[in-house]
Amino acid sequence: MNTGSWDIEVHGLTKTFGTVEAVTDLDFTVSPGTVTAFLGPNGAGKTTTMRMLLGLVTPTSGRATIGGLRYTELPRPAATVGAVLDTSGFHPDHTARDHLSVYARLGGFARSRVREVMDLTGVTPFAGRRTRALSTGMRRRLHLATALLGDPRVLLLDEPGNGLDPEGIAWLRRFLRELAAEGRTVLVSSHVLSEVEQMAERVVMIRDGRLVAAGAVADLYGEAAVRVRSPQAGPLTTALLAAYPGTVRVEALDQDTLRIHGLTTAGIAADAAARGIPLHEITPERPTLEHAFLHLTGHDQGDTR
Amino acid sequence: MTALVSLGRLVSAELRRLAATRLPMWGSLAALGSGGFVGLLALVGPENFDPPVPGLDTAPGVRMLLGLLGMCAFVPALLGTTAVASEYRHRTITTTALFAPRRWTMLAAKLTAYAIAGLAYGLIAVTVAGAALFGAAAIKGVVLGLPTATVLALLSRIAVTMAVYTLVGVAVGALIPNQVAAAAILGAYFYMIETALLLIPGVKELYPYLPGGATAALTGFTFLADALAEQMGGGATSLLSAPLGAAVLVGYALVAAAIAVIAPLRRDIT
Ligand SMILES: Nc1ncnc2c1ncn2[C@@H]1O[C@H](COP(=O)(O)OP(=O)(O)OP(=O)(O)O)[C@@H](O)[C@H]1O
Ligand SMILES: [Mg+2]
Repeated sequence: MNTGSWDIEVHGLTKTFGTVEAVTDLDFTVSPGTVTAFLGPNGAGKTTTMRMLLGLVTPTSGRATIGGLRYTELPRPAATVGAVLDTSGFHPDHTARDHLSVYARLGGFARSRVREVMDLTGVTPFAGRRTRALSTGMRRRLHLATALLGDPRVLLLDEPGNGLDPEGIAWLRRFLRELAAEGRTVLVSSHVLSEVEQMAERVVMIRDGRLVAAGAVADLYGEAAVRVRSPQAGPLTTALLAAYPGTVRVEALDQDTLRIHGLTTAGIAADAAARGIPLHEITPERPTLEHAFLHLTGHDQGDTR
Repeated sequence: MTALVSLGRLVSAELRRLAATRLPMWGSLAALGSGGFVGLLALVGPENFDPPVPGLDTAPGVRMLLGLLGMCAFVPALLGTTAVASEYRHRTITTTALFAPRRWTMLAAKLTAYAIAGLAYGLIAVTVAGAALFGAAAIKGVVLGLPTATVLALLSRIAVTMAVYTLVGVAVGALIPNQVAAAAILGAYFYMIETALLLIPGVKELYPYLPGGATAALTGFTFLADALAEQMGGGATSLLSAPLGAAVLVGYALVAAAIAVIAPLRRDIT
């Protein structure tokens, strides 16, 4: 048995469907203790990668392991890994409680777990309703409850925020952060950055089946900048470039608006005042992951690690 | 030992899965219906059919009614197919594969669970049919044309046939995940393809080992075999013994199940 760390490890992972290269030579590691976002635009290969990690799709080559073992080699897979992949996947005749009790039996878990996971995920209020009558958000919660039946050390969630209302997403963020803080390995895929930005500390970005970037969210943020509007944008640019050669970069956004990199708002304001240049607006631009995401997945085809 | 314990766990989960659907209700109704249908025919009396056939007080008359009941074994086969194919249709197969990634264990559990369900179906059907048969004879004041022990033996063979057919249905459903296609293929085979096959010279020799021939051996209803012998000359086709017939049918179910297990090993669940 694995007594050490429940890392998710992907090495040289490749999957081709006919002529489509869904995933190409992918490498990354996900460690326990924090939420890791798995980001990429539609069709990037997120679902395929997760299905390979779960033994549902056979890799063309490479390895995808959890705690050093392939999913199918795990002694008690459902007690080790919990996964949410679809919004479908319920027998329409089953009630939410039926569904959970079938899988509790299948996994060999105590009956009491059904009640516990229902309470944890907020399924209890609709426990007796047939799954054909559940809303998308309810289905999401029921899938999450099913994934948690075995109290798994590792969670793989494919776009778990889809179909959740803002309140549901806020709840999910809190919930997943708590699970990660308990020392679990949590990998959450999404193509919407804002959804995972506030819960993930680490990110793995892919595009066209290839790794684009991986690391701490903080490292991937773009550099800070200041947006300045002035009727004398030209003279201001010249003055700043002359005063700080090599350390300051200025982008002209339009005739009177500049984006200045490498200086603080206070520094710019002081310089402008010293030269008698009026400023109509001066706003710090917070670096966003969105920027990095668009930048990395949109333009840089290569591996930027 | 642990393998057996875990198989038991999976069987109980499969029974739970089945019990929470509407299939048991429809299944019980179908079982009652097919038993009741035969009972109704017994009450009407085969001698009153158009054209008339030998009555309840003759051996052929009783055998014919029991043979009709045997033909209803097709229904639990369809129910088995439906149950398994619905795992693909509703995509519960993904979660099931995650909880039981060793697929042969999974299918073994399904086959066991459905053998139990199929036997229950068979018992309902033959109990109703048997009661109706003896009841009709009593009402009409005749004695059944077969000894009671023989009738009971034939009835239990039919119950077993229904259980075995359920297995065949489950295996076909696992092999052909499309619910409608699986049912159509199963139906077409039993009602058309096998009979057509028999027209090919030489295939007749194989008849005892084909599903239909094995079924005839198991149910003791040899109408088709006799008709064949008559048409083709060359004496009656000798059928297998009832247990061998059952074994051949179970063999078909296992082969289909084995292919169904091996095929998805290479088939991605996406
Ligand atoms: N079963 C399949 N057969 C053929 N091609 C497939 C199959 N599954 C996925 N693909 C292809 O593989 C690529 C990656 O798909 P995948 O579903 O993994 O992307 P994704 O990142 O999950 O996208 P999304 O954000 O839209 O869910 C796509 O080009 C897709 O068309
Ligand atoms: Mg996807």
